Amino acid sequence: MSAATTSNSPGKWVVLPHYAFAALAFMALGVLLLFSTDAFGGHYFHPKLLTLTHVAALGWATMVIFGALYQLLPVVLECKLYSEKLATAAFGFLGAGTILLAWSFWHFELGWPMHVAACSLVIAFILFNINVAQTARKAPKWTIESDFIVTSAIWLLVTGLVGLLMVVNFTMPFLPVEHTHYLKLHAHIGMAGWFLLLIIGVGAKLIPMFLLAHHEDTKKLNWSYNLINAGLVLFTLDHLLFQTALLPVYAALVVAGVMCFLLYLREAAKTRQRQDIDLGMKQTFVALALLLLPLLLVLVVSSQLALPQSLLSSVYLVYGISVFFGFISALILGQTFKTLPFIVWMHAYEDYVGRFKTPMPKDMYSHTLLRWQNISYLLGFILLVAGVLLRQQQVILGGAIGFTLTSLLYTANVFQMLLHKAHNLKPFTYGNAKSA
Amino acid sequence: METQNLPEDFGQEVYETLKYIIDPEVGINIVDLGLVYQVSLSEEGELVVDMTLTTPGCPMSGTIRTAAEQILLKRFPSLNVKINLVWSPPWSMDMITEEGMRQLERKA
Repeated sequence: MSAATTSNSPGKWVVLPHYAFAALAFMALGVLLLFSTDAFGGHYFHPKLLTLTHVAALGWATMVIFGALYQLLPVVLECKLYSEKLATAAFGFLGAGTILLAWSFWHFELGWPMHVAACSLVIAFILFNINVAQTARKAPKWTIESDFIVTSAIWLLVTGLVGLLMVVNFTMPFLPVEHTHYLKLHAHIGMAGWFLLLIIGVGAKLIPMFLLAHHEDTKKLNWSYNLINAGLVLFTLDHLLFQTALLPVYAALVVAGVMCFLLYLREAAKTRQRQDIDLGMKQTFVALALLLLPLLLVLVVSSQLALPQSLLSSVYLVYGISVFFGFISALILGQTFKTLPFIVWMHAYEDYVGRFKTPMPKDMYSHTLLRWQNISYLLGFILLVAGVLLRQQQVILGGAIGFTLTSLLYTANVFQMLLHKAHNLKPFTYGNAKSA
Repeated sequence: METQNLPEDFGQEVYETLKYIIDPEVGINIVDLGLVYQVSLSEEGELVVDMTLTTPGCPMSGTIRTAAEQILLKRFPSLNVKINLVWSPPWSMDMITEEGMRQLERKA
């Protein structure tokens, strides 16, 4: 039998601050949404919408993904994180950059604060890339999941660099084509290159693991990786250099790649031994179902259909909402409760396990709050999408209230876990193990 | 290091003790989950446990290993305890005991 190493987990101060920041950012997102119901009636290039998008993409999604990934990278790559100091520095730059960028967009202050914010974010992405690449180099074996994760980090950096160029272009115009042209590139490589690839890479490992499903055949994942990256590279080159009418083809490549991933998960799910699906996994399946909406809409927005301008504007907005407030938010709302309780539990009880009776990770948060969080989220999302499509501010406000409520419930649960302390532990008494 | 088979009663007691350690994600003890491969006693009086995890790189590896070590030290204070984490053969669902499968089905 070959001996294995012990845990590769990083320290809790590397990971947990990301969850705290992300929860607060999600709450800020809900509150900002309450004050932005007037912004959904026109074009997506609107200061409030840009603020919402960047708080969602950076403060909420990227922040929690960074934190979770520092914990999960050693699981997926089977080796220790390269540097905890780099991770902490990246957290500082990402946090500061996000706050400054959100302030700049909200007030549409395009001067030095936005420049500093963009530079800070790019530095965070560079540090993250170094950490991911150097960790991957130490991995004992290279897998398709490693490909997804490393490539997604590169796309994140490219997204940040395009964003930085756009920020500079605000005050010192040098880009040859109008701003929204680059915004489309920035948004799509961020959504598909960073979020999608990263989520697929990690999800392909974790979702079967949580279901106790062992699925070895990774052909569909290989196809998924190749199709999505082919679509993204072709889209980027075409968008920058040629501007042909082939956008739907590139979109179809990405959609086909995602479908391969979903088929992979379906095959894995068939072999699962766990029949109990907890609330965290239920919410994850909701997220995967919601993924179908942006997949459909990307084909619509890339096809340049002759729709009325007002409808087209609404479809663009729903497309963005379906990615950030739909798929990504739903996934985080579920997966937080599949990762954070275990991280906190491990740090709180590692000195007590085997000597004292300890609670289980699932006992560390309120299931009632989580159930209501999932319900208010779904209601909020449906109302928000309906309100934008119908151009009804009252309905949008209903959606914003739903999201704010969701964020409060989520944050309460997250901080309940973050502030958890081991206390009143009883030593083991030997008898019937089943009753322990 | 030479090892020897344990007297049946003692071996059973070790397995029963290890059943107190619950896999925090699955909620089933590590013995019925099939994670404990072998228990033996070295000539030096060291209790050696070869065990695995459901997936390599599991973030709980250190915690589960410590838990197994601590509970055995507490139960058998006169013995030294050594926990070996091994990946070969890799864990598979076939290793779950009948009792483990029953517990999984009960959770459905």
